[in-house]
Amino acid sequence: MFSRRSFLAAAAAASVPAWGFGDSSRFIPAVVKHGGRWDVRSSGLRRLAWELQRRTSVEVLLEARPMSLDSPRLFEHPFLYLSSDGDFPPFTQVEVENLRRYLTFGGFLFADANDGSDGAGFDAAVRRELARVLPQSPLTVVPSTHVIFKSFFLIDSAPGRFLNKPNLEACLVNKRAAVVYSQNDVMGALNRDESGTWEFEPAPGGARQREYATRLAINLAMYALCLDYKDDAVHLPVIMKRRR
Amino acid sequence: MESFDTWKLVSLSPHPMLVLVALSVALLFGVGLACWGVRNEVSPRRKWLLWTLRVLAGICALFFLVEPGLRRLQVARVKNRVAVLVDRSASMSFPTEPRGIARNEAVARSLESLGPQMEALKDRYAFETYGFDPELSATSVEGLRAQPPRSSRSDLFAALRAIKAGESGGTRKLAGVILFSDGADNADLVSGLTGRPKQALEQLGVPVTTVAVGKGGLTDLSIDAVRVDDFAFVRNSITAEVELHGRGFNDQAVQVVLKREGQIVASKVANFSSNDETQTVKFTFTPDQTGRFVYTVSVPVYPEEVVAENNTRSFALKVIRDRVRVLLVAGRPTWDERFLRGVLRADANVELISFYILRNGSDESGVPPGNEARELSLIPFPREEIFQTKIDTFDVILVLNFGHEDQGVSLAAFRPDIERYVHNGGAFAYLGGDRSFGDAQSSINPFDQVLPVVTAGLASQEPFQAKLTQAGLTHPITALGSGATSSEAAWAAFPAIPGMNLTRPKEGSTVLLTHPTAMVDGQPAPLLTIAELGRGRTMAIATDATWYWAFPSHSSGANTRNYERFWSNAIRWLVRDPDLTTLSVTADPSSVEPGKPVGVVVVARMPDYQPAPGAKVSVDLVDADDGHVVAQQTGDAAADGTIRLEFPPPEAGAYKVVGRATKDEKPLGESTDAVAVRAVGPELADARVNGALLEEIAKATGGKFFDAPQFSLADVPLREPPLVEIGRSKDQPLWDRWYWLTMLVVVVGLEWAVRRRFGYV
Repeated sequence: MFSRRSFLAAAAAASVPAWGFGDSSRFIPAVVKHGGRWDVRSSGLRRLAWELQRRTSVEVLLEARPMSLDSPRLFEHPFLYLSSDGDFPPFTQVEVENLRRYLTFGGFLFADANDGSDGAGFDAAVRRELARVLPQSPLTVVPSTHVIFKSFFLIDSAPGRFLNKPNLEACLVNKRAAVVYSQNDVMGALNRDESGTWEFEPAPGGARQREYATRLAINLAMYALCLDYKDDAVHLPVIMKRRR
Repeated sequence: MESFDTWKLVSLSPHPMLVLVALSVALLFGVGLACWGVRNEVSPRRKWLLWTLRVLAGICALFFLVEPGLRRLQVARVKNRVAVLVDRSASMSFPTEPRGIARNEAVARSLESLGPQMEALKDRYAFETYGFDPELSATSVEGLRAQPPRSSRSDLFAALRAIKAGESGGTRKLAGVILFSDGADNADLVSGLTGRPKQALEQLGVPVTTVAVGKGGLTDLSIDAVRVDDFAFVRNSITAEVELHGRGFNDQAVQVVLKREGQIVASKVANFSSNDETQTVKFTFTPDQTGRFVYTVSVPVYPEEVVAENNTRSFALKVIRDRVRVLLVAGRPTWDERFLRGVLRADANVELISFYILRNGSDESGVPPGNEARELSLIPFPREEIFQTKIDTFDVILVLNFGHEDQGVSLAAFRPDIERYVHNGGAFAYLGGDRSFGDAQSSINPFDQVLPVVTAGLASQEPFQAKLTQAGLTHPITALGSGATSSEAAWAAFPAIPGMNLTRPKEGSTVLLTHPTAMVDGQPAPLLTIAELGRGRTMAIATDATWYWAFPSHSSGANTRNYERFWSNAIRWLVRDPDLTTLSVTADPSSVEPGKPVGVVVVARMPDYQPAPGAKVSVDLVDADDGHVVAQQTGDAAADGTIRLEFPPPEAGAYKVVGRATKDEKPLGESTDAVAVRAVGPELADARVNGALLEEIAKATGGKFFDAPQFSLADVPLREPPLVEIGRSKDQPLWDRWYWLTMLVVVVGLEWAVRRRFGYV
């Protein structure tokens, strides 16, 4: 589909100094620094940015920005990635309040269970913290009709490195999915090791599942950037026809 | 010497009538018994003699009992009034028939011919002639001829009520009304005699004889009515129903044209299949601009028509928007687009249509060839549809960081459409970025003609705090607080934004925000610039980081909504929201009857939207068809900034009222409204003779209907005038004469003698 040369070329292109103003218009994922292992998917995030640059018109910076939840600069990065491959300590009250404000005023948080856990590990920790941050907006299953599944690619599942859960979950703030949570380690499917090879083999779908995980990640980024654009009336007839 | 003009026989007996009756009965009974007593008399001659004498004696006794006398009286007959009402409305100047005399002249001739009959009845009736217009005023045949009928209203019901009301308190009763009219009522009886007016006329108590003046057979086209709502929503269709009455147009087709201030909007053909027919012609059209406009419906004027003025009819239509329709085009997904979308989507007054370029031609989607349509949710960028076919359906076009040279998405071909859109009243806003202005790396900027700025070099990438200019301190777009100081503080509280395109303002544009230090041509580099272009408005923001005023501004915990307020202000200014103007001009009313003055209310406000007392206001009355200034009025605003000016009645047509105001020699702005001055009022719009209505009036009041002004007063039902005893009388006894007593004595004595002779005593 594409070669290592093209990858390097695209990476080089995405690394040139931005034309935009202080990179403000570019897509730069921010990663939540917490007390657990927060940086295990840096390579996957870089890959996501690269895929966005390659496949869409979105301008990106490849390197994610680590960000403490209590940092005022958090608000310069409307896309936030929260993950770990296990439990992590509770957020401080300042972090909780800052994250609540971040999500309330337009920020987007993608929570990704790198350990594929269910009821323990990251899953238990993130549910505990989200209940503190958005007590009025509990996680609910994202229906397959949600705009996330058509914001760029037409997809009907939410795979990652795993396929533990068929659905995404989301916390809605004023009908907007402010938090999207996957238990399938989406970024794990995009992660590469230091030698540049895929770190994990998606199961059970292998390379095809990796492609769909990539598409899901791109759709999530597009949703953060465009909100419900693909729910506009002008798109619906075309999308309905293609989904048949 | 006393004079008596009549007499009557009366009883002068002092006894009450009851006593007299009882005594008379007793007397008759006595006569009967006496007659009964001689019933067995053998000789018929004797019997008849006795009976005759007894009856005569009874009569004589009755005579003295009743005491008859002669009452001589002085009496007078009070003449009743007969009101002759003559319709003085303008339609009475129409001919009675094609090439005939005027209806008014027909009435005059009828009154002349009725003169001898009125003279003959003058001892019983006083004929009083009134014209009604619709107020009653005495007139005469000469008056009718000297003063042509001019009234703009025919109100038969009001005239009849007025003439009846004039009867109360007078000594002369109203014996009847003779009403001369063409029946073309345009007041209470416009729909016929029904309801309350019918009940009132049935209880009028006076017979109204109606005389139809005029005949059918006239040739005339008239636009009787235009039914349309007072306001319409822009870009939503509205239907105007035109009621077209054709008389004498059997088997003819007539073209009906709808114009908006000189521009043809639509035309239709009405086909008449009889000589007296009303056709309803429907025009469905879609206003494309907000504001008040004068529409005119017209039909051709044919040479043989009775009235030419009723062939056009104007109406004012206020076009408002239900929601502001915003087209948002983004060169690529950015955070600026995301937060602007969030604001616009949350605004209930905005209908958002958006198109983002999600993929460039060089991007690889990763989808196998052939599967793209099935696996991607992308749709083609419908450039022709939105920038040609439907461009006029948008109130505002917002373009974000769009500088594509890719032929698949380039807008260069639509440059003329965008320019025409703005010149015709559209609103255009452009936000910069790395694909805009000098950073666009594009040789063609399709928006360069409409933008209020030109490129002045590559972007400044130093974070900066936007600074309000002097104009920005008071401009409604940048008014984030209740005053200049408050707005300045609000702008100072925004986070610094990371950079901006360098631009240079065009001549005539206004800079509201600048970079605090970066200079262009020795002036602070403009960040927010606006301009008026033709009838449209444009705005340029030289950055794609306005979202810093949204999301990062919340980092400190401040719950500010100034970003939302800024965009709300900008949209409202772009679409000329009436609430954002410092000067408002309103025609009062928006449709003026012929001969009436045109009123205009002007409200002047200061730049901070406080009233502008003493503002110098001038208003031009401009012919909407050719732009010619017809008249001008000036004045000073009152303490509340308001003034009402009035223009003398202009000729019929569509007009614009263009107001301007200054305060301390500083302009407060300009505002426009529209006013329709009608060619004819309802009076002249209808040339028909409504004999049916006149007949209904006659029937309801007990009068008679004549279908022509030739009739005899003998056929007119009138109430009889009563005789009134003035009060002087003299009684002259008849019974106290000696010969009546002698006759009584002789008769009674003779009867006694005869009865004795025949052996009954």
